[in-house]
Amino acid sequence: MDAFEKYIKENRDQFNDHKADKAKLWLQIESKLDTSETKSIKIWQSPLIKIAASIIIILSIFSGTSLYITSGINKNHQKNIVNRELQDIDTYYNGLVSFQVQLVKNNKKLLPKDKEEFLSFMSELDEEYNSLKEEMKQNLNNEYILEAIIKNYKKRIELIENLLRQINDQKNSSTNEEYFL
Amino acid sequence: METNILHTHKELVEESKKGDRNAQYQLYELYVDAMYNISIRIIGIKEDAEDIIQESFVMAFKNLNTFRYESTFGSWLKRIVINKSINHLKLKKIPVTPLDDHEYHIADTTNETVQTNDISKIKQGINMLPNGYKQIINLYLIEGYDHLEISEILGITSSTSKSQYHRAKKKLIQIINTL
Repeated sequence: MDAFEKYIKENRDQFNDHKADKAKLWLQIESKLDTSETKSIKIWQSPLIKIAASIIIILSIFSGTSLYITSGINKNHQKNIVNRELQDIDTYYNGLVSFQVQLVKNNKKLLPKDKEEFLSFMSELDEEYNSLKEEMKQNLNNEYILEAIIKNYKKRIELIENLLRQINDQKNSSTNEEYFL
Repeated sequence: METNILHTHKELVEESKKGDRNAQYQLYELYVDAMYNISIRIIGIKEDAEDIIQESFVMAFKNLNTFRYESTFGSWLKRIVINKSINHLKLKKIPVTPLDDHEYHIADTTNETVQTNDISKIKQGINMLPNGYKQIINLYLIEGYDHLEISEILGITSSTSKSQYHRAKKKLIQIINTL
């Protein structure tokens, strides 16, 4: 190392003649650091934020449960309406079916064999209907059960219609016979 | 003793690692002027040097977890600033090494000596050097890197660094003597 090099190295400090605009530069550095993870780490370390966070969590739990309870009440209300409607339909059809079954039973024109067949079908459908109703109680929103119940009613009506047709046919045939006679 | 030097500002560094903005500012305040001067010496434009300083500090704080006290924090940071400044010149297509890149040139035996001990003249002379020469003079004489370190920074071999330094120094002496 010669004297020139030595001189420069010994006087390095004198080459630092610029002053940085500390505040301006720091603002920009800080804003860039804010977008990075370092800030999120810092936030979670602050006890104030921890308290605020726990308050928010507690509040959200409370509001969550109260919302759940009110929605549960609403649900129950809705359930009641549906239940009542279903019950109305049920009693209507039940009354209709039992009335017609009674009619069939009392009908003297029908053959005992036909009567028995009809009534046994009806009791089978009754059993099916009762089991469906049990399932409905456990799970109201099950569409399949509702459909099955409707099918059950339809079958009963079909049976009754068939029987009516038979009765009419018999009537017709008897009048025809009379006519022929 | 050496470990003591390596652990300069260890507390501040450790707090900064955790993201303590106050500690980060204290480190920034300690080093910003030195870093700013380093960058200006390489780049020569204040506004560009400011951008480099910002980027360097942001990068340093974001990657502080990778700093393991293998050097002082200052020299770690300085290396970031120098690398960024050199890259900046490369991006602007400003040569960081002399263009006439002859490794095996005939050695000039005439040893010129400087007649001045005037720092301002030396500064002026360095500023008048062609860009390629300027960097190597800066890195060796003022930043105090050895040729191995300079070869890493500039992406050249250390023998190229040596030969180029000697030519740069000769040129600088010539310039100063004409001032």
